[in-house]
Amino acid sequence: MPDDINITIDGVDVKTQPGKMVLEAAIEAGIYVPYLCYHSGMKPFAACRMCVVAVEGGRGYPASCTLPVQDGMKIRSESQDVTELRRSVMQMLIAEHPNGCLTCHRIDICGPSDVCLRHVSVNDRCITCPKNERCEFKDTVRYLGMELESPLNYEYRQIPLEVSDPFYDRDYNLCITCGRCVRVCEEVRGDAAICFTERSGRALVGTSFGTSLLESGCEFCGACIDVCPVGALVERNHKWEKPRSVEPTICPHCPVGCQLNLEFNGSGAMIRAVPEFNSPANHGQACFKGKFGLEFLNDSRRLTQPMIRRNGELQPADWEEALDLISARLEDTPADSFALLASPNSTNEELYLAQKFARVVMNTNNVGQTSDVQPQLTVGLERSLGYAAATNSLWELERSGCILVFNSNLTEEQNVVGVPIKKAARRGASLIVIDPREVELTRYAGLWLRPTPGTELLLLGGILKALLAQNLERQEWIERHGEVSATLRYALDSLDMDEVSVATNVSRFSIEEAAQAFGQADTSAIVYAQDNVPEELQDDCVQALVNLAFLTGNLGKPGAGLFPLRPGANEQGAYDVGCAPHRLPGNRRFRNREARQSLESVWECSLPETAGLSLAQTIQAAADGRLKSMLIVGDSPNFTNGRLGDALTALGSLDFLVVHDTFPGPLTDLADVVLPRSTFAEKDGTWTNLERRIQRLQPVGKKAPDGPRSELWLLAELAHRRGAAGFDHASPAAVMDEIAAVSPIYAGVSYDRLEAQSVTVFRSGLDSPQPTQLLYSGQERRGIQWPCPPDGPASTPILYVDEFPGGQANPITPQFRAPETQADPDFPDLLAPGRVLLQLDQETRVHKGRVNRIEREELLRMNPAYAAGRGIADGDLVEAQTKDGVHLGQARLDDSVPPGMISITGIFGQLAVDLQASPEPDPMSHAPALDILPARVAKVEAATPAD
Amino acid sequence: MDFAAITAEAARRWDSLTEGETPWIRVGAALCGKAAGCDDVIDALRSSLERRGLPGQVSEVGCLGLCFAEPLVDVKLPGGTRVFYGNVTPETADEIIAAHLGQDSPPAHLALGTLGPTSVAGIPDLSQHPMKARETRIALRNAGDIDPGDIYQYIANGGYRALEKSLTQLTPQEMLEQVNASGLRGRGGAAFPAGTKWNFLAGSNAPEKYILCNCEEGDPGAFNDKGILESDPHTVVEGIILAGYATGASHGYIFVRYGHDGPIDRARAAVRQAYELGLLGENILDSGFSFDLEVALTGDSYVSGEETALMEAIEGKRSMPRYRPPFPAQVGVFGKPTNINNVKTLAYVPEIVARGGEWFAGIGHDRSTGTAILCLTGALNYTGMVEVPMGLTLGEVLYEVAGGVTGGKALKLVQTGGPLGGVLGAENVDLVLDFEVFREAGAILGSGGIIAADEDTCIVDLTRALIAFCQYESCGKCFPCRMGMSHLLEVLERICRLEGVPGDLDLMRSIGLNMQAGSLCGHGQLGFNPVSSAIKYFGPEFEAHILDHRCPTGACANPRFSPSLTRR
Repeated sequence: MPDDINITIDGVDVKTQPGKMVLEAAIEAGIYVPYLCYHSGMKPFAACRMCVVAVEGGRGYPASCTLPVQDGMKIRSESQDVTELRRSVMQMLIAEHPNGCLTCHRIDICGPSDVCLRHVSVNDRCITCPKNERCEFKDTVRYLGMELESPLNYEYRQIPLEVSDPFYDRDYNLCITCGRCVRVCEEVRGDAAICFTERSGRALVGTSFGTSLLESGCEFCGACIDVCPVGALVERNHKWEKPRSVEPTICPHCPVGCQLNLEFNGSGAMIRAVPEFNSPANHGQACFKGKFGLEFLNDSRRLTQPMIRRNGELQPADWEEALDLISARLEDTPADSFALLASPNSTNEELYLAQKFARVVMNTNNVGQTSDVQPQLTVGLERSLGYAAATNSLWELERSGCILVFNSNLTEEQNVVGVPIKKAARRGASLIVIDPREVELTRYAGLWLRPTPGTELLLLGGILKALLAQNLERQEWIERHGEVSATLRYALDSLDMDEVSVATNVSRFSIEEAAQAFGQADTSAIVYAQDNVPEELQDDCVQALVNLAFLTGNLGKPGAGLFPLRPGANEQGAYDVGCAPHRLPGNRRFRNREARQSLESVWECSLPETAGLSLAQTIQAAADGRLKSMLIVGDSPNFTNGRLGDALTALGSLDFLVVHDTFPGPLTDLADVVLPRSTFAEKDGTWTNLERRIQRLQPVGKKAPDGPRSELWLLAELAHRRGAAGFDHASPAAVMDEIAAVSPIYAGVSYDRLEAQSVTVFRSGLDSPQPTQLLYSGQERRGIQWPCPPDGPASTPILYVDEFPGGQANPITPQFRAPETQADPDFPDLLAPGRVLLQLDQETRVHKGRVNRIEREELLRMNPAYAAGRGIADGDLVEAQTKDGVHLGQARLDDSVPPGMISITGIFGQLAVDLQASPEPDPMSHAPALDILPARVAKVEAATPAD
Repeated sequence: MDFAAITAEAARRWDSLTEGETPWIRVGAALCGKAAGCDDVIDALRSSLERRGLPGQVSEVGCLGLCFAEPLVDVKLPGGTRVFYGNVTPETADEIIAAHLGQDSPPAHLALGTLGPTSVAGIPDLSQHPMKARETRIALRNAGDIDPGDIYQYIANGGYRALEKSLTQLTPQEMLEQVNASGLRGRGGAAFPAGTKWNFLAGSNAPEKYILCNCEEGDPGAFNDKGILESDPHTVVEGIILAGYATGASHGYIFVRYGHDGPIDRARAAVRQAYELGLLGENILDSGFSFDLEVALTGDSYVSGEETALMEAIEGKRSMPRYRPPFPAQVGVFGKPTNINNVKTLAYVPEIVARGGEWFAGIGHDRSTGTAILCLTGALNYTGMVEVPMGLTLGEVLYEVAGGVTGGKALKLVQTGGPLGGVLGAENVDLVLDFEVFREAGAILGSGGIIAADEDTCIVDLTRALIAFCQYESCGKCFPCRMGMSHLLEVLERICRLEGVPGDLDLMRSIGLNMQAGSLCGHGQLGFNPVSSAIKYFGPEFEAHILDHRCPTGACANPRFSPSLTRR
């Protein structure tokens, strides 16, 4: 920390540090200096001139947002001349901004629900502005205490409203052109979907060429809305509603664990989500799912009462009846004929009880959760390094020198992870993307390696070999932390680079370039998923990535490490607390003798010996009739998207299916007993995000409805009915205490300690105007990144800083190979769907109307040689048939597409339109993923047009 | 090819043009010439030569400065003197060829004057022409004499000697001393000492530094930057390389406003030729010094000429000014330390280096050393581009150099230094050309544009036109300028329609002073100058409009409003 220096603002002493700006120092000291274009989350812009100050001995009126502090500086902020200057600018602003909310003579008399008496023309009425009484601009005008008589003429600007794009409305008549939205879109989100338009008195914000947001590259993250100081940008849902209360929660849609502040109206309905500014997990950012995907909390289709199927029909029942029935049926179920699937958004406490229930009460290891389709994702991390979790913290990626993104569509599935990655890429970090599909990050990648689907492991082998060939391994670091195993050298020696290049369809040059970029950067990070890696190769792929990080010394330091990306909000927690068939609490292998013994003594039981069924095996076993009864918590897209085969039919053949869910759906249609489930917003507990951050979730909003119950309650009740001990916890905190006691990685975690990690952020008083996000941000809730042993650090942002749990790292040598696939003769090709925000080489036509609609011609990109072999020429009409449907479009020959693959790239705007129009209560949790599918491509002989 | 070989080749080519067997016909083909129709004249000259079977080499040259006389043709017979013909048409072109080349008798009634050691009977000596008589040509030394598209002609006239001299004989530090000694001050408007600015950049030890040459030149009535760049681009290129050497920069940009094809094409050609001869690029003239230069363009925006907005434009962004600090010498284009100079400033540098800083400091007036490159336009008899020593009075420039006001009318005011410079009443003719003197009088000598207006001009209408320009050209970033300009224009338009109300002058003053105090860049800070200076000199005329609803000159009877970007 640089030494403190002292300045005074209006005579008040302020301690600050060199490098800060005066406005920053003032805000931190709790002194209010008015501003409109400045926002703490962004670089200053110096446009609004509202924060001008006078400096003793200095000339003129510099803007304090860009005035660097100097020791001994004496600032005047509230003097007459400064205030006059601010008022003069404000006077001009309210001469172009509808101002009935300030000038109507009834503002002191009108009550909140009075009918407008129409003293002001309709466009200028306070009630015409969606931000009325929650407007930062209006607060600032009031703060300046202005005379609202003005010699300047006011005229309504009559700019047409933009209300046809998904999710939000834009009314530029209310815009003051402060540029916060433009800057947040470019500087923070890296999208630049909106820009300044025109200049001079007509300067405004819009999209380039005046297009709709669908075709401007907008990702509908809502960041622009969050920073807008006026009513120009607002969420369409509940547009006119004002919050009665604001309460903090965590987004349930993905494992980033974005902290959100939810606004509730007077009747308790959730009306808006504003990402928490001081959140370490999301830094004030959210995405389309968090921002616009929580409407389900208000959906009236909720299940509110238990139901029991009688004579083929679900009939209402009470909880007692339902629980007794379940208990009786489970009594009759043999141990390994039962399986329990929890939800990836159950809390840690619930997941812990779920696995304990399965193991102790049902004596089976058949327990897991419904999003676990990539069980191999972190196994390799644990075996090689020690912990089955991300090694570093998410926002370190901002400062990484090189980022390798492997097989992940993270900008849609874990969107906020993309924010620091894009930022790094724009700053100049090398971004390497390995993916056969064209996804958003491929547009940012300096190097996009596009392997033939299935050859990802070979490609990683090639990169490792090139790395060693270029002597890029960090010898000194490796010697301190392990060794380059002889088996790895042997395995790589036997790889032939030319063969790798042919098999993967990635040039040798690109492979070497990737190795060089990754090996030479100061810090290189790996962000990976296994979206389309064949299951048999998944573990080896992880091992290859671990080797890559290990050889280059990219472990245990900021900006480096490995980040496995799971889809579910609390999947990390599920593994941590043992809600997985092969894992005991603490993510220990279920055969781990020491773990078994200690658990058996605490739980006073003997643990089941047989291995549990994975998610895929569970569905298979249900189909085979090996499973009799199941308890499933929550819906999951995996039951219907084909990743688990025909899961619904399999589950339909069970003897007894209990579904604990929030909304009716295809799963409840099959169930014998349906139990209403609490939403995340009604629960007390913790979630663990993808960077091992344990965050507290607390009930928000109106009092939970009477019917639905949490898993915590349900499992305790069932256990009680089965006469099992050890389920009578007084509170979720007590469950966490038990988790901490039995699970070494959670040792030291307690609700008290979580509470202690929460610090009060200074904010100027509520009476001074400030951005909504800052207004809502009173606490920085840091959570705890495990491990946090009672006698050790309170949180561990980076693993393996000093050493590995086993002393040394022990990377395992993968077997570099291609998958053993037998191509389906009916579908010999592969269809690789992609999706990007913006595609410049493919014309997108948007039909503007009440709802904007995208019209575009599908392009099927394929390898030229491969196409030639099938008699397909560039521009031909072709179709790609999959099991589920057919894609018709124009063939486009493209060298970058591997032979045998057809690439189709959709546009995100279309997805946004579909999600907005979806009748589902919770469409965001079912946003379609990009799965590579077997397909058959053929030329379509165009019918000769009738003359 | 080493430099000696290059100069030998250049001399050989130049001699064959000037002393060879073929007559050399030079036609002014800068923007002024093009606008006056020089292309047709060139075609006429060529076809006339061909038809008459006469030998003759027709070349396009830059602007001699006598823009009022364009198209300007200058004919030099072998061994003869240069004879200039003004306002040539395709018809008179043929006549000139027939008489001058065909019969060796220059047609005196078409001739403007001669330049050279010998004289021609009946034709005056052009060097005694009012526009030429007071000139001292440094930056314009080659303008109108050489073909700007041919690097050899520049070299034959002493070009790139300064570069060769610096690279072989001077250390960067010695070069900086020369520039400091010259007292050279920035010709872009602010008159900041160039040497000091270069010292800032030289003091930075960043590995990558930039020199920017600003040829945005958006002021109405200013054309000397573009004039120099298209008349003698190599003097600018050489100046930039020298600045790069002195400051340790490795990259340069010449920034030209989009649409000015003459300067753009010639600058690009000059850069290409300099690369071809090894005067740009890696290891220039085997000195170990490397420098890369590129021509960059922007859209149609006046504020792009503001130095930080210009950097944004070069980076491919919307050109809006940045805040300072950090200053360009610390964080400039692409985040690297940067020095930015005006075309004129850099064009002086080769001569300063060749002749020494003391020589330059000996020219001029007080702390304003060197010459003033002026663009004379408006109601003047001789309009054009002249380079006169600092220290002449405004009256000498207007009444002697420019030949007085057209039609014998009285001078009402002059507008100097671009629209933001405001106006000067006719009583100021005794001001001498000097940055400080002008500043004290409340005007800006600035980039050298001088627009004269006669007694028929309505001051309110002129002020409205100036503010309409400033308003249209506001970038829209900072609030006081974005909205203040619109409100000023609104009030001025109202006064022009004779619908002004009492209090309008106070309203403009309050808007203007807040704009001055609150704006981010010079555009807003100086944007009130046109109004304040007009009120200062011609207050009663404003009052006649507002209080008596009368325009004394009658010009406001039918106001024609120029395009503006107001809220309406």
